[in-house]
Amino acid sequence: MSPKSYTLLQLNSLVRMAVERTLTGEYWVEAELAECRERGGHCYMELVQKEEAHSATSRSRQDGTLVARASAKCWRSQWALLQPYFERIAQQPLRAGLKVKLKVYPQFHEAYGFSWIVTDIDPTFTLGDMARRRQEIIDQLKQEGVFDLQKDLQLPLFCQRIAVISSESAAGYGDFVNQLADNGRDLRFVTRLFPAIMQGEQVEQSVIDALNRIFAEADQWDCVVIIRGGGATSDLSGFDTLALAENVAQFPLPIITGIGHDRDESILDMVSHQRVKTPTAAAALLVSHLGQVLDRVLQAEERVARYALQRMEVERLRLSRLAERIPVLFSLVRTRHEARLDRLAQTMTAVLRQRIDRENTRLQTFGTQLFTMADRRLLQERHRLELLQQRATALDPALLLQRGYSITLVNGRALRRPADAPPGTVVETRLAEGTLHSQVINTPLTPSKQ
Amino acid sequence: MTYEQSLQQLETIVRKMEAGEYSIDELTEQLKTAQKLIAQCKARLTKTDEDIQKLLEN
Repeated sequence: MSPKSYTLLQLNSLVRMAVERTLTGEYWVEAELAECRERGGHCYMELVQKEEAHSATSRSRQDGTLVARASAKCWRSQWALLQPYFERIAQQPLRAGLKVKLKVYPQFHEAYGFSWIVTDIDPTFTLGDMARRRQEIIDQLKQEGVFDLQKDLQLPLFCQRIAVISSESAAGYGDFVNQLADNGRDLRFVTRLFPAIMQGEQVEQSVIDALNRIFAEADQWDCVVIIRGGGATSDLSGFDTLALAENVAQFPLPIITGIGHDRDESILDMVSHQRVKTPTAAAALLVSHLGQVLDRVLQAEERVARYALQRMEVERLRLSRLAERIPVLFSLVRTRHEARLDRLAQTMTAVLRQRIDRENTRLQTFGTQLFTMADRRLLQERHRLELLQQRATALDPALLLQRGYSITLVNGRALRRPADAPPGTVVETRLAEGTLHSQVINTPLTPSKQ
Repeated sequence: MTYEQSLQQLETIVRKMEAGEYSIDELTEQLKTAQKLIAQCKARLTKTDEDIQKLLEN
């Protein structure tokens, strides 16, 4: 006889009864969501427990070995309450990869098998777990010395070439481009989209790929903007990974994040150069930055112009002052030159007068000299005549006779030598008062000296 | 002839007069030349003065 067998329904009913009898209450369970999907208003989940790995980064966590697994369901009526509650507190939807704390009771259905039926959820547990994981990533980034690298970068003054990482279809990218274009100041930006998946599991690798494409032509871009449209409750977990944070932190260009949420900062926000809430705000930031640079340029331009005007005014005044002095200066020159010309004319006149005077004087002198010379000559002649007269007078014999001298004549001729009158010769002696005649007695042999 | 050249010629004439280098017969001719040069120089000064005024008014 073959052993007793059961129908599957019978057996499953036994299991159901066993479950319902032994596990009567509700239990809080901590597990990781491996799957989570909504269907017909109900929420179907796969809960797993993995062996805790030593390094608690997001990557290694997923690599843990599975040690437990179970389905869970949240019925529509309950889910309608729990879903908004969870999302309001946790700021994100319930999704695969999250650690959750659920209040459950067991249910074994003969047709559908075992499930935990969820009646409550503790969002703070999820938040705490996420916060711990985030903190671990932050600690590691700090340990690697890359956490603040982006903060040390500066947006270039003329930050106009913008590499955008976003999803092609997202409204956020359109908002960003429109906001940049309609900046009201005629500022020009060049943007190019480096498409990436901005939601879900693939965010990390997709964004890293986009960053790598930008890095390959980094010299063509001034900064990178990572933006994403969508509400505050969107799934941001993809941005909280170590690998992405490392890539962003060490990127050579400043990265601006505007990934659309407003409560907690994602790690990406923390390591980026600047974070803003929305794509529009990212555009506004860039417009404001370039606008400030433009203001500086305009101010500088104004200052240069003002300075140039002032300087020109100063120089104009200097010139006009100088110009005012020119006639005065020239009149001095003119006066000096005219004085010089006058002096020359006077000198000439004086010289000429002197010359004429001198010539006159010379002529006069000649005239005077002529008279003087004639006078002197006359005087000389007169004197000569007088002398001659005197000499002539002195020679008159009558005067000699008068003074007692006498003349002896022989035969009418004056007797000069006794020899000419031998003894016996009759001589005639003339005296002043008359003539006497006498006879020579003797003649001395030696003539006496006269 | 420039103003300087005129002035130099004038000064040369005066210097030669002072040095008595001209004969009496030459003097009149040189004096005429000198007077002409003086008149030229003065006219030049006056014209320059007027030119400056005009230029500055513009």
